[in-house]
Amino acid sequence: MEEKDVHDKLETSFRKVFNNNSLAIERSMTANDIEKWDSLTHMLLISEIEDSFEIRFKLKELNKMKNVGDMIDMIITKL
Amino acid sequence: MVFTSFNFLIFFPLVLALYWLTPARYRYITLLVASCYFYINIKPVFVFLILGISVIAWVLALLVSKTENEKKKKALFILNIAALLLPLFFFKYFGAINNTLAALLAENNLRWPLPEIRYLLPVGISFYTFMALGYAIDVYNEDIEPEKNPALVSVFISFFPLILSGPIERAGNMLPQFRKAQSPNYDMIVKGMRLILWGYFMKLVVADRLGIYVDSIYNHIPEHNGTSILFASILYPFQLYADLGGYSLIAIGCSNALGFNIVPNFNKPFFAPSMAEFWRRWHMSLITWLTDYVYTPLSFLFRKLKIWGIVIALLFTFLLSGIWHGASLAFVAWGLLQGIFLSIEALLNKKKAAFEKRHNLDRKSWYLTAGIIITFILFASSMVFSRAGSLDVALTAYRKIFTEPGKLFIGSPSTIIYFTCSLLILLLKDFIDEFYPEKFKMFEHQSSLVRIASVSMVIILILLIGVFDSSQFIYFQF
Repeated sequence: MEEKDVHDKLETSFRKVFNNNSLAIERSMTANDIEKWDSLTHMLLISEIEDSFEIRFKLKELNKMKNVGDMIDMIITKL
Repeated sequence: MVFTSFNFLIFFPLVLALYWLTPARYRYITLLVASCYFYINIKPVFVFLILGISVIAWVLALLVSKTENEKKKKALFILNIAALLLPLFFFKYFGAINNTLAALLAENNLRWPLPEIRYLLPVGISFYTFMALGYAIDVYNEDIEPEKNPALVSVFISFFPLILSGPIERAGNMLPQFRKAQSPNYDMIVKGMRLILWGYFMKLVVADRLGIYVDSIYNHIPEHNGTSILFASILYPFQLYADLGGYSLIAIGCSNALGFNIVPNFNKPFFAPSMAEFWRRWHMSLITWLTDYVYTPLSFLFRKLKIWGIVIALLFTFLLSGIWHGASLAFVAWGLLQGIFLSIEALLNKKKAAFEKRHNLDRKSWYLTAGIIITFILFASSMVFSRAGSLDVALTAYRKIFTEPGKLFIGSPSTIIYFTCSLLILLLKDFIDEFYPEKFKMFEHQSSLVRIASVSMVIILILLIGVFDSSQFIYFQF
């Protein structure tokens, strides 16, 4: 899967979790840039990404994803 | 030695001068000696406990990082966590568990052979244990490198401004600051002194004045009517904020003056419009610690349960927070209530957001005000359990609030006048910082005249209204 495809599919997960159909994600985005992205919604997002891409994260890997770009890179390593 | 003692007013300027006079590469040694001296002044024998915890944290973190075999690594990590938790468990919970077991067995006519055991709780043990645990977990998770110098680990765990009640710092933020030789920074020293001054105002003027009234009610619940108990219950969250918030500002201010950046502990909590937002503003260093090391692993474990996994993680995390605050059912109730409030908010989150969007409520000031008031009522209601200290007293307080109205207890009118004025000043400052951050600056005003007048006014208020014969900070008991 190309990075563009991962980005688009990830964007769908973000839109679903944050209930916002116009949400556009960028690599540099962090929790500060997206409304309602907090410790509660973060785990819902992780679970949604796992189901959507059919992958599994490890707890240690969560700390390494500091922004959307890190998330995309981590997903690509698991596909 | 505590921040409000006369000794500290001599100790801190001396340490500050010695610290900056020490050659840069040895400054951490000055800090370690000063921290040990600070703690020895409270209870000499417990300095060995801190040094013991530091050695355990240092050795086992190094061993964990050098071990290649995953199973051995995990076993060493668990040993590290158990060894660090053992003193906290022993001093804080052993007596309570022993007494509970003895009482249960006595009910069944069985004798518990161990006598009642009461240990003096080493002040700050919960805080430095949490800092040591954070270091052990971060090294295990490979978020930070283990520190080879045992003195640096010791100074991180025993750093005197933070040792008694936090803020609970992380090794990832502190160790690089201890390693790197700091240079004296005039702006940081001035910033630190301002925080110290405001911290003393919060503690000596607001918290201790409020404390006189709250204690007079809560220490004699059977003698007071529901109206007075309700009034004291409304005041107690403000007292606790001024007490721990004031302590935190003095701790952060002292650290700033020594050249260290420390995480904030409070952020105008009484202007939070929801419980979730409140807990992002109240005792922030404890909550982020619990979020990172308890809530996140738990919610990750239960993530397939979706929102219910979040609810389980929230309930357990705040239950643990309650037990951390005290080994009694009252603190269990307090912790569970926080977990329940946050869980309900999490469950209603999507519906609430849709409702707000539909009615365009986000920016309506009346809606924000209503949220702020409801959040305060929920928090103050839960704090009845925490202040009462036992479930029986808390339930009596609640029964009286709902069934025994009466004339408000005044006591000394001057106390009420003083705490009302000082609380209004504190809340007004928080209000301005929250809603008009660029306006009405006092300590950071461009005009030196305004700055000097502001500092002088606060000093005069402390000297005139401050309580100087008060007890210690509330959080020393935790």
